[in-house]
Amino acid sequence: MTTNKSKDRKQKAIEKQQNIIDALKDHGAKVYGDLDNGQFPKFSIPSRSVSNIVYDKKLRQYILGNSAALRSSRNSSQLRSFTQLMWLAFFANRLTQEKKSSTLRDVYYSSQAFAIEFEDQSESDNIIVDLEAVLSKPREDFHIFPEERSSIFGDLNIEYTIPGYEGKRMNLSNHPDGYAIGPSLTTAELVDTSAEIVIAIEKGGLFTRFVEEQVDKKFKSIIINTGGQAPRSTRTLLKRLHDEMGLPVIVLTDGDVYGEHIAMVIKSGSANAAHLRELTVPDAKWVGVWATDIEKFKLPTIPMTESDIKRCYDLQSDPRYQEGIWKKELDVFLKIKRKAELEAFSKYGLTNITDKYLPQKLELAKSL
Amino acid sequence: MSSIKEKFNQISPSEFFYRNRDLAGFSNPTRSLYTAVREFVENSLDACDQKGIFPDVHLSIKAVDPDAPDPKPYILTVKDNGPGIESKHVPLAFGTVLYGSKFGLKQARGMFGLGATMAILYGQITTNKPVYVKSSTDGKIQDEFELLLDIQKNKPVILKHNTKEVTKRGLSVSICLEGDYAKAGSKIKDYVYETSLITPYATITFDDPKGEKFHYSKIVNDMPPAPTIIRPHAHGIDVETIRRMMVESQFEIPNIDDAMVEKVRKDLGLAKNNLAFTGIMDKAKKRWKTLSKPVRVVIALMSFLKMDFDKLNKIRIEDIDVPNKKLYYWDFGDSQSKSVDMDPESQYYKQLTGTVQGETLTTFLTKRFQRIGPSTAVKFAEFAGFKPEKRMGSMTNEELVKLSDSLQKFEDFLSPDPSCLAPLGEEPLEKGIKKFFKPDFCAVIQRPASAYSGFPFIVEMGIAYGGEIRPGGPHVYRYANRIPLLYDEGSDVVLKVVNDTDWSRYKVKGDPPFVIVTHICSTRIPYKTVGKENVADRQEIERELRLGLQFLSRKLAAYMSKRGQAEMAKKRANLYAKYLPLIAQFCTELAGKTKEPNYKKLLEEEIIVDDKQI
Ligand SMILES: Nc1ncnc2c1ncn2[C@@H]1O[C@H](COP(=O)(O)OP(=O)(O)OP(=O)(O)O)[C@@H](O)[C@H]1O
Ligand SMILES: [Mg+2]
Repeated sequence: MTTNKSKDRKQKAIEKQQNIIDALKDHGAKVYGDLDNGQFPKFSIPSRSVSNIVYDKKLRQYILGNSAALRSSRNSSQLRSFTQLMWLAFFANRLTQEKKSSTLRDVYYSSQAFAIEFEDQSESDNIIVDLEAVLSKPREDFHIFPEERSSIFGDLNIEYTIPGYEGKRMNLSNHPDGYAIGPSLTTAELVDTSAEIVIAIEKGGLFTRFVEEQVDKKFKSIIINTGGQAPRSTRTLLKRLHDEMGLPVIVLTDGDVYGEHIAMVIKSGSANAAHLRELTVPDAKWVGVWATDIEKFKLPTIPMTESDIKRCYDLQSDPRYQEGIWKKELDVFLKIKRKAELEAFSKYGLTNITDKYLPQKLELAKSL
Repeated sequence: MSSIKEKFNQISPSEFFYRNRDLAGFSNPTRSLYTAVREFVENSLDACDQKGIFPDVHLSIKAVDPDAPDPKPYILTVKDNGPGIESKHVPLAFGTVLYGSKFGLKQARGMFGLGATMAILYGQITTNKPVYVKSSTDGKIQDEFELLLDIQKNKPVILKHNTKEVTKRGLSVSICLEGDYAKAGSKIKDYVYETSLITPYATITFDDPKGEKFHYSKIVNDMPPAPTIIRPHAHGIDVETIRRMMVESQFEIPNIDDAMVEKVRKDLGLAKNNLAFTGIMDKAKKRWKTLSKPVRVVIALMSFLKMDFDKLNKIRIEDIDVPNKKLYYWDFGDSQSKSVDMDPESQYYKQLTGTVQGETLTTFLTKRFQRIGPSTAVKFAEFAGFKPEKRMGSMTNEELVKLSDSLQKFEDFLSPDPSCLAPLGEEPLEKGIKKFFKPDFCAVIQRPASAYSGFPFIVEMGIAYGGEIRPGGPHVYRYANRIPLLYDEGSDVVLKVVNDTDWSRYKVKGDPPFVIVTHICSTRIPYKTVGKENVADRQEIERELRLGLQFLSRKLAAYMSKRGQAEMAKKRANLYAKYLPLIAQFCTELAGKTKEPNYKKLLEEEIIVDDKQI
């Protein structure tokens, strides 16, 4: 049974690779054909302009609308970025075929080996997003990974798929500092777990505390440090843990508007990634620290800054903040104009957060 | 009375200009050297132009003592292949101020009749050396003069005069003057260079004191047509000018002296005989047709005075009072003033009043102005509210003002006759500009003739862009009557018009390699000073400059956008040549092919498309 399941998953992973490679080949062939026929090749790229980003209530995330921009090699002002995009497709194809991983910065430098100049990294980052949009696939699928590393800890068995480690297994509770969520982990098979929940926490300090306090064992959980706004590879992993292992995901952040939004991005993505649909965990739950917790738990607070307040107003016009706890907490933040960090619980003892607060919240999450 | 007259004469024109030499451009050794060069070179070019000779002018400046520091004496020599000056005129032309042959209404570089003399004067004052003039009008005999100027008397003093056999026509002037070539050098070189641009039909050489040689050969083989002398145009002429013209038009009451009486006798065939009054009148009637105007006037006077020649010798005419029909005279015998009545019915009355009151308005207009025929003159008289036969001499001051106002307002005069002007012409101007600046783009225009204050003028302009022109433009080259204007730029009308232009409107931006050449031709350039360096902003001239510049600027703008397109197309072609091979390379691997697609067709097609655009 397990072997079957694992075979399935392996099959799936291979298919996914093949899909990417096929898609890239299709695009290549089309361009090749155009050139050969004396025509200027072009790409249609879904527009990522603000006017084309819409909120899809069903999908519970931002998606791109129908408008697309044509990038044509005939247009001299687009020729350069067209070539850059072609190069990136070519480069992504090599990465995927050779199962090598790369980073955004790597891509920027690699381009120089092919006489493709990017003015700066942000230009190359942009082209990467273009390719994501053309393929409707996150860059991790074509082996380009973020630099930021977040980490994971808990009883989870994985099996590597990256070259040199294929078939090798690993349990993610063997190293108390946790495991960095990099390309090898993101692409690994998720084999099995005894955990019943995933706790995503915003800060490295608390992650260490949670490991120390054996939150993984006490609450049968996998602990993930998002390191602030969760990188996309982390969000992919969260989604896989939810979808493939059937684990609920809860999010614990600082008690401020930014914390609330970290949770929201895990749940329903960001406008920046509206062109991608495999990065969200719509069932993820934000359990704290809520604005209402500040009163309730008599937490020491800091006054909100101007930009905190402005951010509150911004989010008030976001369609996802129009109801439920999202709206309620945002309103309270605006009312009290104060915020509290996760560390604030230390006022009542270092383990107060794991002994008192967490169990309450886990209980509460069931009813959310 | 006579003593006052003498006092006036004590300040001769020479002295006047000596006192005002700053105005004429002789303020310091630097400026003076430059001005002296100009005066002689321009005289040479004028002389050649007027006779239709391709000028070949040689300028040389040599330091008397090359090792002395500036300022120091220099010997300036200008030699030409022009018509020369007749021997007897040489001392006057170079030794008196206000002697010139160019006062008539036609275009020339010289205007005032004092340029050469001022330079000579300046040389004489600073170095005490005479001027050497060599002139040959026939290419066989050359007159050689050594002259000094008598400043007080406005008179030349001939130190030496001899003749020599030669083979070439032309004139050469050589003076010694205090100058500062270290400072004036670059201006003089600019002057020679810019002069050769506006006189592309001339060959000019310049040997400078440092041993450098500059040679500009002629680059066009057509002389612009020589200007003709003509009358002024009615538009914009002022009251003062009309008054001056009227004086010319009025025949002065002859002074009946012995010589006059002798002449009348001779014309009547009465040199020997002495006839009585009636006999004289009869004789006059018979010969009337053959008599000259002064003689007719004397006869007319005699008819009213009823005097014979003897009596006539003893009186002096004092006044002819036309409104009261009285003739006043002084009788030397009785030593008193007397008068006789004039019979308006008499045939002689008209002769006399016509003389005194000058021409009729229509005659005045048709005879003294260009482009006015009899019918236009009558139409004008009606327009101005004068009788066509109104005598000019009977005009009151108010009427004169009315006349001059009307002359400016009347719109049916033909535009001024430009035959007195000698613009360079569009073709030679364009050739000159192309030769000198080697631009990528050049356009020229000659505006139609216009007039200011009764003086016709023509504006010619050229504009050039790119090529070998240095950046930092517009570089403005100003000319007036083929003279380059180098000093006092700030206050000039051309600069004003250029500075008023918003070049970005014509797609000229940044630090453009850009030249503007303007040439104003007129019988009278309205210079601000005698030094001929900047042109006053007369609105008529400003308008023509503006229109000309606008026309050229639009052409430039059209060129600039084409140039922009061509540059873009070139850039684009380069882009395709750079990127298409890369795209081909990448898609070949992506598509899993081994042979690259044939994208060369695209490169060729792109280049064809661009060719069509340019
Ligand atoms: N190189 C020459 N060849 C023939 N005639 C000349 C030459 N130089 C001068 N003349 C005669 O001498 C006259 C006096 O010259 P001058 O330079 O004093 O006056 P201008 O040229 O008439 O006026 P301006 O004061 O404006 O120069 C000229 O009008 C001309 O008739
Ligand atoms: Mg002169």
